[in-house]
Amino acid sequence: MKTPNLQKFFKLLIVCMITVSARAQQKIISGKVTDNKGQPLGGATILEKRTHKGTATKEDGSFTIHISDSNSRLVISYVGYKATEVAVNNQTFITVTLLPSTSNLDDIVVIGYGTARKKDLTGAIASVQEKDFNKGNFISPDLLIQGKVAGLQIISNTGQPGDATTIKIRGNSALTGTGQPLFVIDGVPLDGRSLAAGNNPLNFLNPVDVASIDILKDASATAIYGSRAAYGVIIINTKKGQVGPVKLDVTGSVGVSSILKKIQILNASQYRDAIKYYGVGSFYDKGADVDAFDELVQNAFQQNYSITGSGGNENGKHSFSVGYLDQDGILINSNFKRYNADVSTNFRLLSSKKLGLDLYLNASQYIQDGTLLGSGADFIIQGALQWNPTQRLNNDDGSFNLNLREGGGYNPLALLEYLRDNLKISTILGSISPYYKFTSWLEYKLLFSINYSTSIGRHSEDQRLQSYDFNSAGKAAINNNELTTQQITHTLSLNREIFHGMHLDAVAGFEYMKFTNKGFTLSGDGVPGVGYGNYGLDYTNYVQYSDAGRRSISSFVDPLSELQSFFGRTIFNYKDVYLLTTTIRADGSTKFGTNNKYGYFPSFAAAWNIHKEKFFKVEFINALKIRGGWGKTGNQEFPSGSAQALYAFEDNGNIRQTNTPNPDLKWQSDRQYDIGIDFSIFNERISGTVDYFNKATTNLLFPSPPIQPAPQSSTIRWINLDGKILNKGLETTINASIVKQEKFGLDLSVNTTFLKNNLSGLIVPVHTGFAGGPVEIIENGLPMQAFYTRKFLGLDKTTGFSVYEGGDNSFYHVGDPNPKTLLGISTTIRYKKCSLIANINGAFGQDIFFVPLMNLINASEINGGRNIALSVYEDPVKEKFANPVTPSSRFIFKGNYLKMGNLTLSYSPGDVAKNFKSAAIYVTARNLFVVTNYPGFDPEVNTNAGVNGVPSFGIDYQHYPTSRSIIFGINFSL
Amino acid sequence: MTARKLILIILLSITFIYGCTKLNETVGGNLTSVQVAENPNTAELLRGVYASLENTFTGYTEILPLSEFTTDEAIAPTRGGDWDDNGTWRAFHQHKWDANNVHIHDCFNSLGGIIFAATDMLQYKPTTQEQAEARFLRAWAMYWLLDFFNQVPYRDPGENLIQPARIISGMDALDTIINEVNAVGPYLPNDPPSVANKYAAKVLLMKCYLNKAVYINRANPNFDASDMNKVISLADEIINSYKFSFSRIYFDNFAPDNGSIGLENIFTQISHIGGNYQVNSRWASILHYTQGGWNGFATLSDFYNKFEPTDRRREAAYDYLNSPPNPGHRVNVGFLLNQQYDLENDTPLADNIGPVIFTPEVHNVEPGPNLEMPGIRPIKYAPTYSRFPYFDAATNEFVYFRFPDVLLMKAEAIMRGGTPTSAGPYGNNALAIVNFIRTEPSRSATRLTSIDFDILLDERGRELWWEGWRRQDMIRFGKFLKPFEEKDYTSDPKYLLFPIPSEQIAVNPILAQNPGY
Repeated sequence: MKTPNLQKFFKLLIVCMITVSARAQQKIISGKVTDNKGQPLGGATILEKRTHKGTATKEDGSFTIHISDSNSRLVISYVGYKATEVAVNNQTFITVTLLPSTSNLDDIVVIGYGTARKKDLTGAIASVQEKDFNKGNFISPDLLIQGKVAGLQIISNTGQPGDATTIKIRGNSALTGTGQPLFVIDGVPLDGRSLAAGNNPLNFLNPVDVASIDILKDASATAIYGSRAAYGVIIINTKKGQVGPVKLDVTGSVGVSSILKKIQILNASQYRDAIKYYGVGSFYDKGADVDAFDELVQNAFQQNYSITGSGGNENGKHSFSVGYLDQDGILINSNFKRYNADVSTNFRLLSSKKLGLDLYLNASQYIQDGTLLGSGADFIIQGALQWNPTQRLNNDDGSFNLNLREGGGYNPLALLEYLRDNLKISTILGSISPYYKFTSWLEYKLLFSINYSTSIGRHSEDQRLQSYDFNSAGKAAINNNELTTQQITHTLSLNREIFHGMHLDAVAGFEYMKFTNKGFTLSGDGVPGVGYGNYGLDYTNYVQYSDAGRRSISSFVDPLSELQSFFGRTIFNYKDVYLLTTTIRADGSTKFGTNNKYGYFPSFAAAWNIHKEKFFKVEFINALKIRGGWGKTGNQEFPSGSAQALYAFEDNGNIRQTNTPNPDLKWQSDRQYDIGIDFSIFNERISGTVDYFNKATTNLLFPSPPIQPAPQSSTIRWINLDGKILNKGLETTINASIVKQEKFGLDLSVNTTFLKNNLSGLIVPVHTGFAGGPVEIIENGLPMQAFYTRKFLGLDKTTGFSVYEGGDNSFYHVGDPNPKTLLGISTTIRYKKCSLIANINGAFGQDIFFVPLMNLINASEINGGRNIALSVYEDPVKEKFANPVTPSSRFIFKGNYLKMGNLTLSYSPGDVAKNFKSAAIYVTARNLFVVTNYPGFDPEVNTNAGVNGVPSFGIDYQHYPTSRSIIFGINFSL
Repeated sequence: MTARKLILIILLSITFIYGCTKLNETVGGNLTSVQVAENPNTAELLRGVYASLENTFTGYTEILPLSEFTTDEAIAPTRGGDWDDNGTWRAFHQHKWDANNVHIHDCFNSLGGIIFAATDMLQYKPTTQEQAEARFLRAWAMYWLLDFFNQVPYRDPGENLIQPARIISGMDALDTIINEVNAVGPYLPNDPPSVANKYAAKVLLMKCYLNKAVYINRANPNFDASDMNKVISLADEIINSYKFSFSRIYFDNFAPDNGSIGLENIFTQISHIGGNYQVNSRWASILHYTQGGWNGFATLSDFYNKFEPTDRRREAAYDYLNSPPNPGHRVNVGFLLNQQYDLENDTPLADNIGPVIFTPEVHNVEPGPNLEMPGIRPIKYAPTYSRFPYFDAATNEFVYFRFPDVLLMKAEAIMRGGTPTSAGPYGNNALAIVNFIRTEPSRSATRLTSIDFDILLDERGRELWWEGWRRQDMIRFGKFLKPFEEKDYTSDPKYLLFPIPSEQIAVNPILAQNPGY
């Protein structure tokens, strides 16, 4: 153990917690909690204000509580309702009516190893409750909050069902790795890796099971997660059992998707004109009139059902859910299916109810089918974009026109049929958490969790594919990966008044995590001239039929990665007016070099509830809080085994060292401060938050080039680079209940984010973003991944060649892929039992490199009998085919957009019959329209074009197109 | 209270079971250096060194563009949307490359990787022969770094790779290479050509001495007679071993079974299935799409015209192991020109635009309208068609050193002031040696009546085309910077050296950028 001092400190802390004890005289009172319509509220929290002892209401809204003083005050709270404070004044029965809350300051927010009321927060934490989630059929729960939170940018990378999202909290500071935040599900941090490249690691979790999502943005909130928190933390809380008889919630929806936007290429008649215009010979006019895209895309059907059950009493609360989702992709043959089930129970044991036990088990499997993995979908889109629109896709006998060189490119329909992938990922996430209340204010909790997922991928290439990208004997490949995370966490929490008016909420803990990743791949190409035969069978079912000399097998296991941590947090609350939070975490990791095994991550934050001051007498201001915080977090997103020399077993019995180890390797460090104001005014009709943040990232983890001589297969050497990435920004969120009447309501929520991003202190610029060559640079004084390529001045009218500023070999900073402003607008219009919800999101100020225009539909393609972009044909200058297809600013476009993310019209008749309650039917349009000048499928795009582990941003390679969906759904309870 | 105690005991025991770890990283699918040292498997490590050479030399992206596309015998034309690759190919023939060029970068790193692998294995107690082979292969990689960059980075076995490597340059580097080769030569085996052997060591020493004057002054080399005498005596040692003779057919030396019929080969690289860019790229990067290739590189007509039509090194309708039937006896190796044919059934090849007719005129950037056909296509290695469509499973051994080069170097050394000697049947003067090669039945070129440096350089081109020596030869003969086809200007002398990749300059403060870059 290298941290004796820290251990001593925690031991001392724990002893202090235990020795402080108090006993007081007790009184019993009872009561009932209802909402403003007189409906009882089960599960509401009753707290004695002075002692913070509490209880919860039963299903009928009734409660009984022991209080220390007959003049105590009680605080009654319930999620979604305004907390109310009542004086006991010697009453023995108290009736409380809670009013729905528009501001969510009373919401309970999960803050990492504990919870807090939103109004007690000192850090920048946003919380989105189920009622505010985006509506529609989402595969992964991250999309529930797209556009909902200031400072949070969520981009669906492509339109493929189940594809990953790019999530950036407070700007772009990832010089390597994904830059994705840490996801924590019910206290279990996820590995963050996905078993299949490009797949969303959250696909296993059914969004229906999510109760709320909390976004920890500033370092004072995230520092408790230490070396993994630099890109923020997103805490997903699943639904838990509620006190009451068993209740079943049923949801069902069906929908249809179609392509949102197409890329403008020539139609058949334009193509015929273009052949003459460019003088390429009439043999390219094949006589037909084909829109390859129309043949490729379909109106895709989707359905999604789930049943959630919940019930319980004081001794135990239970819930379960089962779900089924079946979503066709808009490219024919592609499909995503998911089966999932979860069970959650909370037991209260012993006669004293001091022992509790929480159990959670989530099992899910999803299957992606079609042409999905790797570059398959790219080939199809390439084929469709380049297809000669005068050429038929099918021959007279119905077979595919496979003369692919004739007329160029690939037959996209044939690729859809002949390139097949099937990926099956099964995940189990289980946790068991016993806890014991020593006293009303001291609790010990143990959390043991295991998260296991395994994937089986099958890929086949039909031997009828004749292009040089495919061998004409067929190919089959099977791979399996396993990813396991085990965790054990001990926490001891203290929650009590330590002297009059001063309340302490403290937690200390130890955590151990273990990550393993292993897998294998095998593949075989068909025997020349024989292939896999035309038996109509899936090649992956009989790989042994392949050519013995053309088989490939490999297996791997990553070095074991372990993380061992000590952490603590104290929150001092003086009369709810002054709040002070401090946290510390010490993280030790096997991945760090021997010289840097432990990292320390402290934070401090304070808040002042001005409206609670006696002197504060402004009537229309209901709440006003000023917050400020500072903290350090880290990022350790580099592969295990980077700090010591590793020798690999290679083909044919070779052994070679394959990496360039760095024994000094350590975490990347982030320092962030945040100043914020929370307010609510006009009877809480308007509430909001404004935050300024300043985040400096140093010790940049960077995949640096190895210093030669170095192992040949080692393209990178992980180092902590000098240099600083600065992200500054302003976030505002305003929620307003503009009209709030019995029959009619109008709510509006707007969040905006202004971002600035800058780099300094780098010794050498870093090139990334591969589009023909690297077109992005990470360099001092420029924003992250600034576009850096030739400056296109236009086409020379006489030669038809591109003209560049300074010639062919001069490079300039010609764009910025980072948005300067993010915007999210949500509005709800309610009339009687109908409501209309619109969620709009947008990003402004960013540029996108549109790669297909450069390398797929450029002028020279028509010379090869392929299609070209309409914009190229309509250019007043006739471009020469021989004009080299060279990266330049010609292919960089403004990416500004405003998207109608979803628009939902719902009708909620409520309790229709005795056994048919809370009924609602709705229709939702997802991605109804997008306002943009960007020529690609969707300006919300980020395809991976990183170079040597340095990520790219804002590069749009041909990809699975985005869809627009219309969904009809029904929800009811039994 | 018993319940509380019981629970405490359970929880505390769990804590201890999962208690503090020392955070030592354990591996499962790899070996750590401690594990390698515990189970010394130097034969496996040596195979790793040989594998390090493979992509570097046999591929088409590293040694090939630097050593050939910069010269009068090779060009990588940009064909509209094809082979643009950010201008990195065309920069070579135009002499306009810079320190960010990806091929220069890859070549420097790969040669560094060979040096690393060969050095690293020395710490694991190899046998004397294994050590000799590893050190020879390291010297071979160092030689190319010296030739291309004039600076050679090196490390000691087991060194911390975070520290900057040390550099030897110029004559220090050449002395180190010569000393290393001399030190290990006696411990190398006599054969086969596909492993580092005694005769390979002698040829490398010949290259060192022949070019020594160049490494002293690349712009104005001043050749020393004593160096030339060393070249001659090394050549005579090789000749007098009588291990090497002329193959029946010139192209046998590059055929899919050249390991057995390539009698001229002194040092070769075995391709093995599973690598990325084996010898297959030597034809795949050149042949037209209809021939199963990627329609890339070409030779220039001025160079092609240096051959007599009868010279059997120029082209052949070559019947080789598992070759296609070729009923029309069409040219299938050497320089492909004019109409191309399907070698299975002799139908003329055509694509959607028209017939596949390779034309001699070629440009750095093809102006069109016909982008795909320009350029004479050099096919030195007969494609391994036995496993069509699997081009990448080539069985051809890649040739590093060939016997005729030894003879030509001897002839040159005599012309540069060395003392003529007589060894074998090849004659005792430059003209006789050159004429022996030219009139060998496998060549069948006419006898020369006189010889000068220009003629000798041309002869080296005809004999050794696309074998990786042209840049070195043109520099030694003072022709590299001069105008040639598709480079109608004299280049800046800085192009006699390649720049150190900017990335390496950034990470290793000891490296200095070469002058002018």
